Amino acid sequence: MLVPAAAILLLTFVMTLIIFPQLAEFCKFPALLQNFMRTKLPARKPDPGILNCCVKISKQQKQNIPADVFGIELYGTIPVQGEKIYATLQITISDITHRFRNPKPVHSAVKQHRQKNSLIFCYRADLGWISKADRTLFDWTPIAQILCKHLTFPYTGNRLIQLKTSILSRDNGKEISSAVCAFDYQNNSAGYVNLEQNIKNTKTLAVALAFALGAVDDKLYDCEVEIIKQWARRNIELPGVPEKASQKLNKAIEKTIRFFQKGNKVDACKICRQIVRTVPVAERYDILELCLHVTKASGAVSPEETTLLKKLTGWLEVDMERFRSMAEKIIPVSMHQTQDNEVVLGITEEMTKEQARQHLNKEYRKWNARVTNTDPEIQLQADHMLHLIAQTRSQYT
Amino acid sequence: MVNSKSSTAKKAKSTKAKPKSRDDKTANIVGIDLGTTFSALAILNAIGKPTIVPNADGERLTPSVVYFDDDDAKIIRVGIEALNSRHLNVARSVRWIKRQMGDTNYTKKIDNKDWTAVELSALILKKLKQDCSAEHGQIRDAVISVPAHFDEVRRKATMDAGKMAGLNVIGIVNEPVAAALYYATTQQVRGKVLVYDLGGGTFDVTIMDVKGHQMDIICSQGDHALGGIDFDREILQLLEKSYKEKYNAELLASDEDRAKYEDEAEDIKKTLSRRSVAKKMLYGPAGNMKVEITREMFEQAISPLLSRIDILLEVALEEAKLKPSDIDKVLLVGGSTRIPLIQKHLEEMFGHKPEKTVNVDECVALGASLHAGLTMLSQNADEVPQGIAAGLKDVKLKDVCNHSYGTICAPIDKETGQRVIANRIILKKNTPLPCQETQMFYTMSEGQTELEVTITQGEDTDVEYVNKIATHKFKLPPNRPTKCPIKVTYSYDVNQRMHCSFEDLQSGRTLELNFCLDPNGQVSKTDIKQKTEHLQSVKVE
Repeated sequence: MLVPAAAILLLTFVMTLIIFPQLAEFCKFPALLQNFMRTKLPARKPDPGILNCCVKISKQQKQNIPADVFGIELYGTIPVQGEKIYATLQITISDITHRFRNPKPVHSAVKQHRQKNSLIFCYRADLGWISKADRTLFDWTPIAQILCKHLTFPYTGNRLIQLKTSILSRDNGKEISSAVCAFDYQNNSAGYVNLEQNIKNTKTLAVALAFALGAVDDKLYDCEVEIIKQWARRNIELPGVPEKASQKLNKAIEKTIRFFQKGNKVDACKICRQIVRTVPVAERYDILELCLHVTKASGAVSPEETTLLKKLTGWLEVDMERFRSMAEKIIPVSMHQTQDNEVVLGITEEMTKEQARQHLNKEYRKWNARVTNTDPEIQLQADHMLHLIAQTRSQYT
Repeated sequence: MVNSKSSTAKKAKSTKAKPKSRDDKTANIVGIDLGTTFSALAILNAIGKPTIVPNADGERLTPSVVYFDDDDAKIIRVGIEALNSRHLNVARSVRWIKRQMGDTNYTKKIDNKDWTAVELSALILKKLKQDCSAEHGQIRDAVISVPAHFDEVRRKATMDAGKMAGLNVIGIVNEPVAAALYYATTQQVRGKVLVYDLGGGTFDVTIMDVKGHQMDIICSQGDHALGGIDFDREILQLLEKSYKEKYNAELLASDEDRAKYEDEAEDIKKTLSRRSVAKKMLYGPAGNMKVEITREMFEQAISPLLSRIDILLEVALEEAKLKPSDIDKVLLVGGSTRIPLIQKHLEEMFGHKPEKTVNVDECVALGASLHAGLTMLSQNADEVPQGIAAGLKDVKLKDVCNHSYGTICAPIDKETGQRVIANRIILKKNTPLPCQETQMFYTMSEGQTELEVTITQGEDTDVEYVNKIATHKFKLPPNRPTKCPIKVTYSYDVNQRMHCSFEDLQSGRTLELNFCLDPNGQVSKTDIKQKTEHLQSVKVE
C-alpha cells in the first residue's frame, strides 16, 4: 500500500514548521496559523543542562487599578568557571513582532531600570555568590517581577515580546550565560514609535491650523507667516540632507501660504479631531501656544481670531482655564480688539450673575497680587486687567 | 536680608536694641506715617499717650514732596516749601515717591546723581526726624507704617530708607493695624472691625476682631495704586476735556502746567467734599474759561475706581468668611475717606455709619507710635519708661502673615503627565502669627548632589508671577537614588522674622535661612552704609 506522497510531504512540512516556527515568517504563512502555533502547541520541556527562562503574566491591584506584571522565572544550570562566581542578573525586553526586520527595545519609565544614557529598559540585580554546587535550579524559580506600567512598548496592540535574561560576572561584566523566551502581550498603551510618528504628523497639522488662524480674518500678515515658518523649522524634521530638507520645507510652506492667500479655507475642526486622536494633551497645548503667538504677531487680536481660538480650545479638548492662563501670558489684554468675556475674563454664558461676580472677585485677587511684580510688562497687564474687571463687574451687581 | 547657615554654622545674632540712657528714653519712641501725599510723625509721651509732632512750619502733616534747589542740588526742600516750589521746575521735584518704593528700575536724575526711591523717601524721613529732634531731642527708635499689601521688597525698602535717614527702625506696621491700634486705645471699639484706609496713593482694608485692647487681625487686602491722587487725575481729565471741548486745544502745555492743575484738581476734590459744585478758572494756551465741576460729575468719573474698592471689600470679607452684616464697626482712615459718596456707600453696605471720630489723617502715625512702644516692650521692656509701659500694658496685638510664602518645585502636571516648574505655597497669607508649616518634597534625579532652593513670596502657582526673595544651593550627599525626602519648614514670628529650613531626612543635613527686617541684617550692609553717609552730608530744609 502506498502512503500518499502528498500526505507525507504535508506531514514533513508541518513537522518542519513545528520545529522551526520562525520559518513560518519566511514562508509568509498566514498570521492565523502563526498565532495557532505560538499559543496552542504544548511547551517543550526545558533542558536542565542550560539556562532557561519564562515569563508569567499576572495582574496586581494597585489602588483599585489592575496592573500587568511580568513574573520572570529561571530553570536550569548556570555554568560556573572555578569554585564560585559573583553573579549579577540583567534583563532586557524587545518587541520582535516584526522579527528579523526590526526588533525594537522596550523603554523604561523608571530611571533605575534603564541602560546608561538611554531610555531602553535594562533590569539589573545582584544574584550574589554562585558556587559550582548550587549552580543548577531544578525547578522554575521566580527571580524578578516587572510592573508593565513602568514599561513603554514601541507599538500598541497584540505584540510578540522577547525577554532575555543574562547572568553576568560582576568582576568583568562578561556574560556567563543567557536565556531567551518569547511571549504574546496585549499592549493597550500608546507605543513610543506610534507616538513619535503621530507627533511628527501632528506638527504638519499644527502648521495648517496656525495658518488657518492667521488667515481667519482674511489677512495673512508677513509677521504671522514668519512665526509659523520659524516654528516649522524648529519642529518639523524632514529626512535627508539638512540643506535639501530645509529647501523642501520652505517650498511646502510657500505653497501653503499661496493656498491661504487665495482665500482658501481648511476645516479646522477636522484637523483638531485628527490631532486629538493622535497626540496626548501636552502636544495640543504646544499647538495652541503656536496659535497664540501667531495671533499676537500682528499686534491686534481680531474678533474672528478670538472666536476661532475659543473654538480650537473646545475642539482640541483642553482646559479653558489653562488656555486662558497661557493666553494671558502671551497676549496683552490691550491687544484684543473686542472684549470676549470668556477668553479674557473666563466668564461663561452658563454662569449666573452671582457666579460671575465671584469669578471676577477671584480674578481680581489674582491680578491684584501681580500688580506689584518687578516685571513692568506684568505690572501693565495687571493694571489693565484690574481696570477691565472693575468695569465688567458693574454688569453683575 | 537673609542669614543662611548650614547645619554646622552658628545661630543668627539676636536683634536686641542697643541700651540707651534713661534720660533719652522719652524722646526715643516714635511712629512715622510715610504717606504717598502726606507724612506725619507721632511720639509717645511720658504716660504712653501718642501725640503728633508738628514740623518746623508748625504743620502736623508734612507733604511728601522733595524739591532740589535750582542752584545747589545739595540744598533739598521737603514739605510745603517743596510743594510750592514744584511749579517752578517740575523736573527738580519729586512727588508720590511711595508708589515707586521697591522698584529698582526707578531713578530720578538730578544734576549728576540718580536718586533712588529709597533715597528720596529717606530725605522725607530725615526732614521729619530733624523737625522732631529740634523739639524733643534725639530721635532714634522708630516704627514706620506701610500699606498692608506691601511685599517684603517694599517693606525692606522702607526700612532701608529709615536707616539712611539715621533712624533705628525697630519695626514696620501695617497702616490699617496702626490706625486700629489708635482707635482701640482711644475709643470704644469692640467686635468685628473693618478698617477702611483710603489714603493719597493706596487703599487697604483690614478686618480684625477687637476685644477691648486685644486685637486679632483676621485678614488684609490692598490696592497699590488706588487713592486720592487717582481721584485727582479723574478731575484733571474732566478739566482737560472741558477745555478741549471749548477750544479744541490741549489745556496742559508743559509739565509745570500739569503740576499746577494737579493741585487745582486736588483742591476741587476737597471742595466737593463740602459743597455740591466747585468752580475754577482755567488759563490755557488757547484762552481762559470758567469751569464747573459738580459732585455728580466727580462721582461718575470715579465710579470705576470705587468699583475696584468694592471688589476688594468683597474679597476681604470672603477671605475672613464674613458678610457685611457681621461687621460691627467700620473705621475710616486716610483723607480720601472724606468723600461723601464713600461714606454713604459704606453706610449702605454695612448698615451703620462708619466711625470717624478721630483725625483720619493722623491716626496712622499715632498708632505707629503705639506700635513702637509695644515693640520696645516686647524686645527691651527694661528700656521702656514706666509710664509708657503702664499705658500700653493691656494692649495686645495678634498679627497675620501679610503674604503667602513658598518654594519652587517640579510637580507632575495632572493633565499632561509632565513635570512643570511651579510655586508651592507653604505659609498662606493671613495665617495668624506666630505660625509654622511643614511640607515634604523629594529629589528628582538619581545621584542628585545639589538642590536649588528658592524662597518665594506671592499667591500664584505660576513662578513668573511670584517674587523670588532668596535662592540658595543646598549640597546633598552623592550616590543616592531618586525621591529622597526633603522636609521644608517655614515659620514666621511676631517680630516679622521668617525662618526657613530645608532638611535632608536621610543624611540629616540642613540648610537654614533667616529673614529679618532687622536693620542689623547682613545683606547690602555696605550699600546702605555708603548711602547713609552720603545723606548725612545732604542738607534737608
